[in-house]
Amino acid sequence: MIELHNVSLSYQRDAAALSNINLKIEKGEFVFLTGVSGAGKSTLLKLLYGGLNPSRGQVLIDGQNITRLSSSQIPFVRRKVGVVFQDFKLLPGRTVLENVALTLEVLGWGKRDIGKKVYHILKQMGLEHKINTTPLRLSGGEQQRVALARALVNDPKIVLADEPTGNLDENSKESVLNILKEANIKGSTVVIASHDKRLTENSHRRMIVLDKGRIVEDSNGRK
Amino acid sequence: MAGNKAGKRPKLTREGFGGQVAYFFNRAIANIRQNILINLLTIGTISLAILIFSLLLLLYVNLEKVTDKWSERVQVTAYFEGELPPRELKVLIGRIQSLEGTGKITYISKSEALKRFRERLRGQDALLEEVSADILPASLEIQLKKEFRGDDALSYYTAALRRVPGISEIQYGEDWVQRFNSFMDFMRLLGLFVGGFLVLAVVFIVANTIKITIYSRKDELELLGLVGATRLFIKIPFLIEGILQGAAGAILAIALLFGLYYGFIHNAGSLTNFNPLENGIVFLPLTYMAYVFIGGILLGFLGSLASLKKFINV
Repeated sequence: MIELHNVSLSYQRDAAALSNINLKIEKGEFVFLTGVSGAGKSTLLKLLYGGLNPSRGQVLIDGQNITRLSSSQIPFVRRKVGVVFQDFKLLPGRTVLENVALTLEVLGWGKRDIGKKVYHILKQMGLEHKINTTPLRLSGGEQQRVALARALVNDPKIVLADEPTGNLDENSKESVLNILKEANIKGSTVVIASHDKRLTENSHRRMIVLDKGRIVEDSNGRK
Repeated sequence: MAGNKAGKRPKLTREGFGGQVAYFFNRAIANIRQNILINLLTIGTISLAILIFSLLLLLYVNLEKVTDKWSERVQVTAYFEGELPPRELKVLIGRIQSLEGTGKITYISKSEALKRFRERLRGQDALLEEVSADILPASLEIQLKKEFRGDDALSYYTAALRRVPGISEIQYGEDWVQRFNSFMDFMRLLGLFVGGFLVLAVVFIVANTIKITIYSRKDELELLGLVGATRLFIKIPFLIEGILQGAAGAILAIALLFGLYYGFIHNAGSLTNFNPLENGIVFLPLTYMAYVFIGGILLGFLGSLASLKKFINV
């Protein structure tokens, strides 16, 4: 589902953000990407949805080499990938419904079907009563769940989550993690970038540890 | 598997051109509603910029009218020996009429010439005692068509007129015509310069206002790209917004201009000795209003297009 071959990326000369990354994530896997701040986790995630281009190497998503795609083809790859951003990236002027609906509007869904689908996913996340609320009136945990709903509403093949539990209380963390596990059970390949050790250590899932832009450990979690 | 459910997805309800246009139009209206304040500010700025340009246009239209009237005074007088019998006069007028550029021809007989002469020298009867109609020549006053009132065209016309048999002399106030045409050339150049400068200023103001509007929503543009929207999908609602802003700005500018015009024609007479209505001051003709409206739409569209290029990196 996800393959990286000899991928390197430098933001500045002589300062590699990622160095010679080789990685394969199978369809249906649930993977943690960990490491200290600045290790290259977010950069690696950005490569997976075409937010960045590697300086060297190849990135394959669902069999497509996205490093060779033109900018007009990238949107069609992104439709297969649901991304949960560290800063949520919710539009403050739009309601919860409109924020989540965005993903489906882009896909060309009709208004009625969008309404049904968005209500359904918000109900799963316990947010159906907030459907007409704007994001700024929501708590951090609620905002994160709206961001999750937007990423998952079209049942993407791949879900990428960048620090999805950062700044959340324990209950919210648990809830967010459960939502991602559920998406994985339904068939999505899930990659979570997190530096939260408690979250990753007890999960018994595959864990890829990055340090200074290199993979220093790749364990399957079943110790 | 979640990702394999594509086949079970609901059928698109906005399939077809009409459905897509409706979707984008609704999206643009919703965007305007959600960003009402910045949209009102943009429309206000666009309308003020267009108003300044329209004021110049109104001035130009009225100046053109006045100068058109003045240029009617550009006429050629053709003299001939003695008083021609009516038949010969008719033939001569026919020949002149057949010359390209000839407008209205007025015959001034010897007695009519004397009458005019007396009117001009009214109060100086001593000078007129010895003057009789015989010493004044009869003539034809020829008004020229608009396109033949310029220096070159006038020279061409008078050369042709001189070749008409029976005409002994022609006069057309060469100096006055040259001065008038020089003045008109200067006015046109000035209008072109000021108009060109104003067009540039309006384009600059409108493009930057729209750029600021779009900049304030750059997060939205970025997010649309991240959830898989194509460039066109992101751009179209913004372009429709630009068109609507431009159209609203132009309509508002024309309404404000009419308000100013209305105020001027009803108050200028009481404040000064100038009566605008008596002097034929008119509002912008419908064609010019249509130009302003289309110009506003184009400005909105092109301003949005140029700004979007800078912010969309999908």
